[in-house]
Amino acid sequence: MIARLVVLVQIALRNLFASFINFIIGGIILVGTCTTVVGGGMLDSLDRSMSRSVIGSVAGHVQIYSTKSKDELALFGGMTGGDPELAAMTDFAKVKTALETLPNVKTVVPMGVSGALITSGNTVDLVLARLRDLYKVRDGKNVNPDLADLSGPALTEQIAAQKAHVRQIVNVLKGDYTKAKVLLKKDTEETREGEEALARVSDDGFWAGFDTDPYGSLEYLENRIAPLVTDSDLLFIRYAGTNLDTFQQSFDRMRVIDGQKVPEGHRGFLIAKFFYENNMKLKNARRLDQIKEALDEGNNRVIKGDPVLERLVKENQAQTRDVILQLDGIKTAQVIAALQKLLKTEQTDFAELLTSFFTTDDQNFRERYDFFYKEIAPKLQLYRVKVGDSLTIKAFTKSGYVQSVNVKVYGTFSFEGLEKSPLAGSMCLMDLMSFRDLYGYLTTDKLEEMKALKAGAQAKEVSREHAEDDLFGGGDVVEAQATAGVIDDKAQLSGTGQAMHQEDLVKRVYSREEIENGVVLNAAVMLKDPARLKQTIADINALSEKDGLSIKAVSWQDAAGLLGQFILVAKLVLFFFVGVIFVVAMVIINNAMMMATLQRTQTIGTMRAIGAQRSFVLTMVLVETLVLGLVFGVLGMGLGTGFMSYLGSHGINATTDIMYFFFSGPKLLPTLSAGNLIAALVIILVVSSLSTLIPAVIATRVSPLRAMQTDE
Amino acid sequence: MGSIVSIRDVVKEYSLGKVVVPALRGVSLEVEKGEFISIAGPSGSGKTTMLNLIGCVDTATRGVVEVAGQDTGKLTERKLTALRLDTIGFIFQSFNLVSVLTVFQNVEFPLLLQRKLNGAQRKARVMQLLEQVGLATHAKHRPNELSGGQRQRVAVARALVTEPQIVLADEPTANLDSVTGQAIIDLMKSLNQQKGTTFIFSTHDYKVMQHANAVVRLADGKLQGRETGEAAVAAALKGMSVAPVAQAAP
Ligand SMILES: Nc1ncnc2c1ncn2[C@@H]1O[C@H](COP(=O)(O)OP(=O)(O)OP(=O)(O)O)[C@@H](O)[C@H]1O
Ligand SMILES: [Mg+2]
Repeated sequence: MIARLVVLVQIALRNLFASFINFIIGGIILVGTCTTVVGGGMLDSLDRSMSRSVIGSVAGHVQIYSTKSKDELALFGGMTGGDPELAAMTDFAKVKTALETLPNVKTVVPMGVSGALITSGNTVDLVLARLRDLYKVRDGKNVNPDLADLSGPALTEQIAAQKAHVRQIVNVLKGDYTKAKVLLKKDTEETREGEEALARVSDDGFWAGFDTDPYGSLEYLENRIAPLVTDSDLLFIRYAGTNLDTFQQSFDRMRVIDGQKVPEGHRGFLIAKFFYENNMKLKNARRLDQIKEALDEGNNRVIKGDPVLERLVKENQAQTRDVILQLDGIKTAQVIAALQKLLKTEQTDFAELLTSFFTTDDQNFRERYDFFYKEIAPKLQLYRVKVGDSLTIKAFTKSGYVQSVNVKVYGTFSFEGLEKSPLAGSMCLMDLMSFRDLYGYLTTDKLEEMKALKAGAQAKEVSREHAEDDLFGGGDVVEAQATAGVIDDKAQLSGTGQAMHQEDLVKRVYSREEIENGVVLNAAVMLKDPARLKQTIADINALSEKDGLSIKAVSWQDAAGLLGQFILVAKLVLFFFVGVIFVVAMVIINNAMMMATLQRTQTIGTMRAIGAQRSFVLTMVLVETLVLGLVFGVLGMGLGTGFMSYLGSHGINATTDIMYFFFSGPKLLPTLSAGNLIAALVIILVVSSLSTLIPAVIATRVSPLRAMQTDE
Repeated sequence: MGSIVSIRDVVKEYSLGKVVVPALRGVSLEVEKGEFISIAGPSGSGKTTMLNLIGCVDTATRGVVEVAGQDTGKLTERKLTALRLDTIGFIFQSFNLVSVLTVFQNVEFPLLLQRKLNGAQRKARVMQLLEQVGLATHAKHRPNELSGGQRQRVAVARALVTEPQIVLADEPTANLDSVTGQAIIDLMKSLNQQKGTTFIFSTHDYKVMQHANAVVRLADGKLQGRETGEAAVAAALKGMSVAPVAQAAP
């Protein structure tokens, strides 16, 4: 038996090297296997690293949500880009208790992902508010404890500085308007009104008479000028409302970068570091950071000739407005002086100075960078929101009216390895109570407040959709204290009763029960043994069925929405590609073996005459292609393995932001599993045997009579 | 003494489209064990056809062909193949060695198909036969490194390696010069005498025929009679043969 096989293999091997076409076939098989091995290994590695990213940043192993939901859960946004519409799980505590009876469930972290607009107050608002406070100090009606010590010349100086700041802003705005008029040929009723207002307030007369009626002048500025400033009004932010305590414990790759954790049981907000840097930092500073990061990266990257870096420099030169708007008179003067010294120039125009300051090249960049952070940055508000600030978040509730919540920012955070990923880095975290407020669900606070209001018989009926009432056991009309759309940032900035109430909320500590008894949209389930994911999902769904929990469990992959399908799609593309290669290989192998068979009918006939059964001939032809497939397939596998081990030891650097997420870090070290090799082997064997089936059958039909005929 | 091959009233017709070509038209022949028999006749007379029937690579249209006591018309394809493997050795006009195998492997091949002997036994048997055909030193050569005569000797060794009862050879000397052809016939003859193997071969060459202890003549698909080798040659030399014998092939 073995001897027979040896001879067959020997025949195969010798035939293999006898024909040139076999090398072409071999080449195709080699490329095919190499692609299978490398592609398969890469995708598996990507799958693993991406699953680490998705699981570790927000999804957990399994996500649960209400079966009544209209859409499927998509944590990173759905098909249409919007958030999916999920029905709420009304009794999370019950769900949690039930799930925790399952042996493989470690923790259940409540969640709700949503997006909202945040306002951080624009510069002119802030300046005007400060100026108003200063005048109040002057008039002995101070409300701001920070300004209590201010008096005499210091106060006068401060007032002058703020006024200079306003005039500076007005100047910038005037410039904007002139530009807009020329560039966009924009000349409407609206722009004309704006121009008129600007003309009036840039007139020295306006400022000369300012002190006689400061509040009237301020009002004019607030009403006519502030709306013209569009520097930093609204920012879209994505957040997950969650039980911050369990979240921090369960997603152990989460690190607080600036500030601190939200204290246990408190309301609070954590901003994703990536988002904080990219969307909340002063653009000029951010660009300097980006250039520095690129230069520090190694690879001898230089600004000159690098399109990305050159663009950043250009943008910094052109867009100095944000810096100018922020600085009041005193600070402007200081910065101008420092810049004149640095740049050795007599130039007095601030914008011009900044433009030449931001004209950075490979020689001066580091000096300018250091100067910026040492001399200019301390005078600026580098981030729109500072740690410790309170953030006003406005969101549309389910029934479509605007809800607003103030929440204290405790710090920033990121997930280890995903620091540079925009996907993982744009999801901020919020406590569940605030989330429920925003989403329009009843919280304990609201309940208490309502009672108080009712007791005072001052309840003002606010008509509202009853859509959600049944969720709360139906009954009371909810009169959210946050009357829709009435919350006024300006009022808050100048410090009204609203802020006082917010203070109370910031200090309040909630018990675990309070947090978990209530409505959540979805929840992450962390498993003890992630390998048993499928089984556990089935268990959860079965449990839901049995106990009537009305929840649906999906894997992290499904929960990630489109993103989770990415690997699947990539796999399909690879399969398609490999499939094409092997189909081509099959056609060629089939033809080549057919030719070879027809050329060898005399040999085959002789073997048959001598006494070889048909099965022997079949085996002979099959062994021949199998040997061909194996020889070149193993070569291809070797090549692929070599390539993968090279990649595995050198790593692939994440060069784009999205790659950080897929790689779950700055570098992917792909590995090859036995499975990848076995898959490649199986494919080769199947392909080669399938492709010789027809020639093999034809070979068995060769008559032994063929041996008797002499070849012409 | 029983016949090793028994042919009775065999008709073989080939159909070429709608035309039926009769190759054998009622032939009967008994071949005894240990005979060294030659089939003679002009081209197209049906020699190859007859050998194919005896060799079980083809079946008769009518009539009975018995080989080693088995009626070949009643055997399945598999059984016929097994019968060929175990009882018949073939020597072909154009040698038909497997070019990618060595001399040794070519000779060993039928033994591998038989699966009766182990490696050592096979080796001993193959080497013994190569010894007998005088090619023991060429065991590791490939067929294309040998001369025509050497190749045919390898073929003889391959035909005999399974110790078959019958060896069939269709014009074994046709592709060889007369001296080499003579040597092959001598070799066959000596093996016939040593082992008692029955040899049936066809030839045009009367020099070859004279070694046969019987010559059967075919003409136009019919058996013309049976004579001794010497008689056949003598007849041929006198020009009294039933059919003129073709000139020996170059
Ligand atoms: N496969 C076939 N198909 C059709 N006719 C055939 C076939 N083989 C042989 N014949 C015919 O049968 C007859 C006998 O042929 P055969 O080959 O047996 O003759 P032969 O005596 O061996 O001739 P040669 O000395 O030329 O080899 C011839 O007329 C031939 O044309
Ligand atoms: Mg013939």
